[in-house]
Amino acid sequence: MALSRREMLQKITVGSASVVATGAATGAALTGTAQAQEMPQAPREAVAMLYDNTRCIGCQSCVAACVEANKTLENARIEGVHHTNLELNATTKNIIKLYKPADGKSYAYVKQQCMHCVDPACVAGCMFKGLRKDAKTGVVTWNSKVCVGCRYCEIACPYHVPKFQWEGWNPKIVKCEFCKERQAQGLQPACTSVCPTKAVIFGKRTELLAEAKNRIKENPNKYYQDRVFGEFEGGGTQVLYLSKVPFDKIGLPDLPHESVPEKYLKWQKRVYSYLAVPAVLYASMVGVIRGNWKKHQEHMAEDEKKTGLRPQL
Amino acid sequence: MIDQWERNVPVYDVPIWTRPFIAMCGLGALAVLFVTYRELAGLGPASGMNDAYAWGIWKTFNTMTLTGLGSGAFAIGMAAWLFKRHNLHVVMRTACLTSFLAYLSGLMLLGVDVGRPWNFYWVFTPWRWNLHSPLLEVAVCMPTYAMIPLLLENIPPFTDWLHQHKPKYREYVRKAEAVMVRCYPFIVGLAYLLPAMHQSSLGALMLLGGNRVYPLWQTPWLPVLYVWAAAFLGFSCVAGTLLFCSQMWKRPIDLDVLVEMNRLTAGLIASWLVFRIADIVFRGVIGLAFKFDIYAGLFWMETAFLGVAIWMLRDSSRQRDPRLMFHAHLMSAFGGMLYRFDPTTLAFQPKPGAFYFPTPIELFISLGFVALAIAAFMFLVKVLAILPAPMRLWYRMETHEKKAAELQNPRFVAAD
Repeated sequence: MALSRREMLQKITVGSASVVATGAATGAALTGTAQAQEMPQAPREAVAMLYDNTRCIGCQSCVAACVEANKTLENARIEGVHHTNLELNATTKNIIKLYKPADGKSYAYVKQQCMHCVDPACVAGCMFKGLRKDAKTGVVTWNSKVCVGCRYCEIACPYHVPKFQWEGWNPKIVKCEFCKERQAQGLQPACTSVCPTKAVIFGKRTELLAEAKNRIKENPNKYYQDRVFGEFEGGGTQVLYLSKVPFDKIGLPDLPHESVPEKYLKWQKRVYSYLAVPAVLYASMVGVIRGNWKKHQEHMAEDEKKTGLRPQL
Repeated sequence: MIDQWERNVPVYDVPIWTRPFIAMCGLGALAVLFVTYRELAGLGPASGMNDAYAWGIWKTFNTMTLTGLGSGAFAIGMAAWLFKRHNLHVVMRTACLTSFLAYLSGLMLLGVDVGRPWNFYWVFTPWRWNLHSPLLEVAVCMPTYAMIPLLLENIPPFTDWLHQHKPKYREYVRKAEAVMVRCYPFIVGLAYLLPAMHQSSLGALMLLGGNRVYPLWQTPWLPVLYVWAAAFLGFSCVAGTLLFCSQMWKRPIDLDVLVEMNRLTAGLIASWLVFRIADIVFRGVIGLAFKFDIYAGLFWMETAFLGVAIWMLRDSSRQRDPRLMFHAHLMSAFGGMLYRFDPTTLAFQPKPGAFYFPTPIELFISLGFVALAIAAFMFLVKVLAILPAPMRLWYRMETHEKKAAELQNPRFVAAD
């Protein structure tokens, strides 16, 4: 195909301009976001819980209070005894477990519930924001009107917290939502409100972090390390832990300071930011295909002439 | 029979209601029955899934693994349209149909798998989208791909059928085709962009599994390895289907096209293997491959399947032996499927003591949906011009015996 000089020039200018433009857009998408990305921070007013297992006596009042406040189980006290489950599950949002080594020396309790991560993996994976982190309080809540029930949160959560109702046609995701209804009424979460030894307390994250560090400072030998679990672990959590035994003994995983989404979805975010990379790919593919498509049509027309049969696309 | 593929011809000389077809329909019907039970009783009673293994085979096998096999339209289409492998155009209809059915079957099963499917309408409200979620990417891209570009790629056999059997619609067919011809490059472009995106995002899903995915599989390159595996799986699925159909329905095969497909499949597998092993070495976890445990075993099984597949693909091309070719593509499919399945289930350790094995109902539903896709394929290739054949088959179907006889002597004969 012969091109006139004018056409040629036009093609070259348009072509190079678009290459430069798309290249710049891609570059900006890949590097710009990389610079803009910082460690996610907890909201300034973020609420928190501090659990200190040197104070916990394992009475399970918090477990019973949770069941009652959230109505996760009917008839929780029908036999006069607190309802207790072995694991977090679709009827248990909060549980106390006991770590007791074989030598029986240093036993320790641990309270399990949603950690309300600063940068939660469940929220990062959730398609339609069925799970979301409140911008002010930082509480991670679940929305039944949006959740599709895909259970990606269960795959993503490094603490194994979200649970699914496996029975019935209308299943829900069950996890601690920091007693958001009680908080809206100006009350504390059920678990912190009943703790007789103040092993678990409620407050602002900044204040509780300071309190935790203060406790370590006052009694350094009482605690396993000069470390508050949840300050940095997995990007930080809004449930903070102090322990007299190593954290991994009480089921708290050894996570890097990077949050799970930050560590694993970094490139996914960059490649898809502003959809620049897909747009460039699409434009260049269509360009090539259009060229080949013309030739293909010519071939088909030739075949039609030769055989007299309707061409097959 | 060795020949040249020139035109897509329906399997016109075989009745639709054959025993395998009835068996597939029966399996599908059984699955639909079990689905009713699952919808009423919930996922717990119907499946082996639990809070640790929250994803079962409906997601991990039928969707994350089998749509890899359904990537033929993506992989072969790219080879034909972008990389100018013009002789592959003749198998595109087979590729598009297998892909569409694999996707449709997987997507329908996703609807069965999710707990609250009625909320899926939020997919139409972009302000609800969490753009950083790989699952959102899958949820938007996959149905879009199956329902727009892939479906449109499958329209020509239908318009052919209308043109041939319903003369009064010919005018509409002509108009529709005129529009399609104009949009075709844009649709085809979309048909490669979208699978590239969601096939890689299927791999990205397991990224959030973090260190619970065994280090031999967990890598930032998981999305790339997934889409790459989809490419050779797509080739193997289409080549295997073509070889199987030609054997079952006694149709001639075109060894030149198949050898070309072998070459591309082998190249894709070889480069994939190099990339995979380089990734493992550079991440410094190659030592894990030499431990004596199930994970190392799985890794070597994948590698062995694919290594043998490369060798068999090349050998079968050299010998021009269709039977060996079929087995080679089977090997490649096993290896690739195992790779895509492993990080989701076998090499995924959510926590100590966690256990998952699908229940019989779960297995029946999974297989039943595959059977439905196979049944649909068996039906459609008998009605529509999907499978490639030499020109004389077309004339014979049209009962143009004279023209068929003219073309009786195959132009291509295998070198013995």
